[in-house]
Amino acid sequence: MPQFSTIEYVIQRGARSPLIFLYVVDTCLEEDDLQALKESLQMSLSLLPPDALVGLITFGRMVQVHELSCEGISKSYVFRGTKDLTAKQIQDMLGLTKSAMPMQQARPAQPQEQPFVSSRFLQPVHKIDMNLTDLLGELQRDPWPVTQGKRPLRSTGVALSIAVGLLEGTFPNTGARIMLFTGGPPTQGPGMVVGDELKTPIRSWHDIEKDNARFMKKATKHYEMLANQTAANGHCIDIYACALDQTGLLEMKCCPNLTGGYMVMGDSFNTSLFKQTFQRIFSKDFNGDFRMAFGATLEVKTSRELKIAGAIGPCVSLNVKGPCVSENELGVGGTSQWKICGLDPTSTLGIYFEVVNQHNAPIPQGGRGAIQFVTQYQHSSTQKRIRVTTIARNWADAQSQLRHIEAAFDQEAAAVLMARLGVFRAESEEGPDVLRWLDRQLIRLCQKFGQYNKEDPASFRLSDSFSLYPQFMFHLRRSPFLQVFNNSPDESSYYRHHFARQDLTQSLIMIQPILYSYSFHGPPEPVLLDSSSILADRILLMDTFFQIVIYLGETIAQWRKAGYQDMPEYENFKHLLQAPLDDAQEILQARFPMPRYINTEHGGSQARFLLSKVNPSQTHNNLYAWGQETGAPILTDDVSLQVFMDHLKKLAVSSAS
Amino acid sequence: MTRCPAGTGGAEVAMAELYVKPGNKERGWNDPPQFSYGLQTQTGGPKRTSLTKRVAAPQDGSPRAPTSETSGPPPVGHPPPSSKASRPPPMGTCPATGVELQTSPVTESEVPMEDVLRPLEQALEDCRGHTKKQVHDDIGRRLALLQEQWAGGKLSIPVKKRMVLLVQELLHHQWDAADDIHRSLMVDHVTEVSQWMVGVKRLIAEKRSVSSEEAKEETPTMAPENQTVPGFQQSS
Repeated sequence: MPQFSTIEYVIQRGARSPLIFLYVVDTCLEEDDLQALKESLQMSLSLLPPDALVGLITFGRMVQVHELSCEGISKSYVFRGTKDLTAKQIQDMLGLTKSAMPMQQARPAQPQEQPFVSSRFLQPVHKIDMNLTDLLGELQRDPWPVTQGKRPLRSTGVALSIAVGLLEGTFPNTGARIMLFTGGPPTQGPGMVVGDELKTPIRSWHDIEKDNARFMKKATKHYEMLANQTAANGHCIDIYACALDQTGLLEMKCCPNLTGGYMVMGDSFNTSLFKQTFQRIFSKDFNGDFRMAFGATLEVKTSRELKIAGAIGPCVSLNVKGPCVSENELGVGGTSQWKICGLDPTSTLGIYFEVVNQHNAPIPQGGRGAIQFVTQYQHSSTQKRIRVTTIARNWADAQSQLRHIEAAFDQEAAAVLMARLGVFRAESEEGPDVLRWLDRQLIRLCQKFGQYNKEDPASFRLSDSFSLYPQFMFHLRRSPFLQVFNNSPDESSYYRHHFARQDLTQSLIMIQPILYSYSFHGPPEPVLLDSSSILADRILLMDTFFQIVIYLGETIAQWRKAGYQDMPEYENFKHLLQAPLDDAQEILQARFPMPRYINTEHGGSQARFLLSKVNPSQTHNNLYAWGQETGAPILTDDVSLQVFMDHLKKLAVSSAS
Repeated sequence: MTRCPAGTGGAEVAMAELYVKPGNKERGWNDPPQFSYGLQTQTGGPKRTSLTKRVAAPQDGSPRAPTSETSGPPPVGHPPPSSKASRPPPMGTCPATGVELQTSPVTESEVPMEDVLRPLEQALEDCRGHTKKQVHDDIGRRLALLQEQWAGGKLSIPVKKRMVLLVQELLHHQWDAADDIHRSLMVDHVTEVSQWMVGVKRLIAEKRSVSSEEAKEETPTMAPENQTVPGFQQSS
């Protein structure tokens, strides 16, 4: 079909299993936080489809698996939070190994009737919603007293183990989400991240650098094992962490990262950020289906001149070798198939290929290379589907057809792919090494595609295809994905998690935030992410993906303070103030996860969110060198884009590089 | 969004369903604003401005210096350009739903409780033969709780007004619409409604199932529920 490059097939036959949601809830929360979380969970029962299965595990010092029944009495199985158990032990103790027979429900026969399977611990919403609402409503804070100077004993590691084992024993290989809600770090048992003494703080990047993070390796290993087990079972793990201090996202990050689950980080469950982000998980598309999908396997096939080096994204390897698998690995390599247990319309994998030229044979003129992506998955309507995308591109010779290659270069995609590679490497390599590697790649690109005279930096020019690329690399180097010391390890893990899975547009926003300027001079316009864009008579809207910042220039702020917006003859000023608010609202209404919202002005303490992102073209060091007083000088010793570009040009034109 | 049955002030209630409240600044610094269920589920028209453009840095390296109206620090008391000037305002009309739009203070006519409770109790009665006794009793308990809270003045006006709409939809057998209203109440007012709303939700489901059984008795053949389209195609 020449006009379609993507075709989706719906599989008619085969059993259709319901979606499964297993809530794992931390009860060591403050009273109003717990109340807010309970209400969000009760609300979610109204958002789930009636035939979805739902289950509840609560934990604190002990771990409680709740048996859901329609009778009045509620039972639960209690586990010690200190002892880890294998999946088989868990299944035995929950009585799953003997009586795992599916229960058939007799109903008037319909052509597509399927046998109804459930378990004591996972029941359909339409049967259990009233009882579960009451059960949630009656949840109390963990009863074990917490003495002064201590943290509550939180057995997150065991709670997750039990959740994974429970699902493995009841519903393997069907779409399920384990949703972990936690308000603090794991403090006991396997997977503990910090001890219960408050005077010992949770590890920082400095601690990690100095090898002073006592529990980190062991805890990470525990969660990695769970994550791999979950992915093998076809399930995904979400983490909703709301606390003022860190909760151990660094150690637990593999759980959402390997399984395609979500990571949400907030200050409290009693915030609009958590409540609305959580609601958006259940948002629906035009057909009234959830956007989430499950149990995907992606297979990539290539024509013979291409080999697959690897993939970077929320996936695990299926270890499928073959002739199209390269020996050079980039990201998750050594395979042509990956598993993505949880996905949604924005889920994006970066896939890396290698061009192989057998025996230095010339690429045939006009020859084409082809790649096919085959994704099988469980749609939220519980149908199985297969989506096939096939693309073909002409081959071009790197020596004689460089301009062709240049014209076809997608600098935005290239920037994100390089960035993903860089961030992937940053997980295991030293920060400065990653920056050096990124710089070397950029210099090589400039050497190959730039137009210049040797040893003459002033002559250096890049064509339009590369107009934004060096800028992207500059901002990437300064981004929280690679500069970690301004953030906690949990925050870095959170930012990196979202960066590794978002689509192109959102990923670019994360690398180089968008900046729009509002003024009386015309419609809102994009401006350079530069200190020279900060002007007294402008309002700026900055989108970093994680934050929406509205910044009023000095004059605007003075006018607002004077109240001009309330005077009828200055109605246009009122419109000007409102315009960025409306645009911000459009972004806030749609994005997952919901961003922070900062409304600040010149001199405000929160102006730092803007000032730290813009290119410091004017600093206290060079303000007078430029000879102009426009823009706001930034107090920093960071290298500016201009200095960066100057160095880049020098290195690119040098014969020594 | 719900349809507005005539004569019940539905239009004001519908507008009141599209609101934005500020976030919880005490608990989360820079907590974003909270959007109502109605606003969040709007498919919405085309976006007015798509904020995704960038500007390339100049190749020669000097920072751009856009012309600025005010040179140097502005003197305090210097007013903005007034609307009376020939310069047109940069943005078009204000949108219907702006930030900080609160529910308009509607006529504070008290909603009679019986308007809501009687139909619900009647609906429950209709399900008596069909529903399991335990479920029936459980729903009944929750309706009693609703009555208690309503009579005790614990429910806000928006909740009461939306319950009136829900009951209307139920009486007209518009199950999906009634269900949607229940959802909107759970999302926007969970603290007030969570204890009893699940009973109303179940009642809607039971009534729907009773009605479809009655319909089946009248018409012997039924169209299959799920139409699957083989070989669904979409262009990339």
